[in-house]
Amino acid sequence: MEGHRDGMGLLAQGVNHLREYSRIAGVAEIARRYFAMNAFDGVLTTIGILMGSYIGGVRDARSVIHIGVATSISMGVSGLWGAYLTEAAERQRELVELERLSFTDQRKTKIGRASRLAVVIVALVDGLAPCLAALVVLVPLFVASLIGNILVSYALSLVVALIGLFGLGMFLGHISGRSLIGYGLRTLVAGLVSIALSFLLDRAGI
Amino acid sequence: MGNLRRLVLDVLKPLDPGVVTLVQLLADLEGVDGVNISLSEIDRRVENVKITIEGRSLSYEMIKGIVEENGGAIHSVDEVAAGNLLIEDVATTQD
Repeated sequence: MEGHRDGMGLLAQGVNHLREYSRIAGVAEIARRYFAMNAFDGVLTTIGILMGSYIGGVRDARSVIHIGVATSISMGVSGLWGAYLTEAAERQRELVELERLSFTDQRKTKIGRASRLAVVIVALVDGLAPCLAALVVLVPLFVASLIGNILVSYALSLVVALIGLFGLGMFLGHISGRSLIGYGLRTLVAGLVSIALSFLLDRAGI
Repeated sequence: MGNLRRLVLDVLKPLDPGVVTLVQLLADLEGVDGVNISLSEIDRRVENVKITIEGRSLSYEMIKGIVEENGGAIHSVDEVAAGNLLIEDVATTQD
């Protein structure tokens, strides 16, 4: 019983530290931005894969899944690496400036730890958001054998992608405190434009 | 060694964590009865504050630890008082 209470106390302390570090380093705001931006990229890229495969005559779900999963992994690695390097450089610059102004080594302080934590969290969000968004869009293709018709799987994947885009728009609307539907429609249009352009290119014979 | 009763510190610290957080962290220390932080000067990223701490038995090392953990640096110890009786600074004719 005593051990359980100690464990809960440590957990609560850990959560409090995380909250404080997150506030000091402004993690929530930047992670939110990266999440929306990269999930949007992930969904639109997957729309491109779906349209390219459909127009290219690919009727084997496994082929689309292979391309989609490989692309989502690449997007994840790219996001993780890119954000880690960029964020680490940016945070390091801020810390050095603060050290110069405060005449103190900030690396071992709460500020230094918050800064390092921010780099890890932002890199994870940046890497996972496009990867997971792409995998969610591909779900109807993962269960293509259950659906029975690859064309229905393509259509369902596109519907999931458009719903995802609309949801992301609503999330942005919620952040900005503006119209959820208005923002949802704006992101939805991006998906519809991508689909329409793919069809148009096909018609043009490209 | 006599018990430390009052400390007045001149501290340069980053704006974040803020003085509201710092004053509470210092007040939570054992042997501290009360803390006051007043702003002397503010810049874009850092601020100069005067920290006044009173208690029955203050630990300078622990106070310094909290200040430094929160990114601050003690520039000077402007006033100290110890012992059973808290003695105020006395004005002299030279003043």
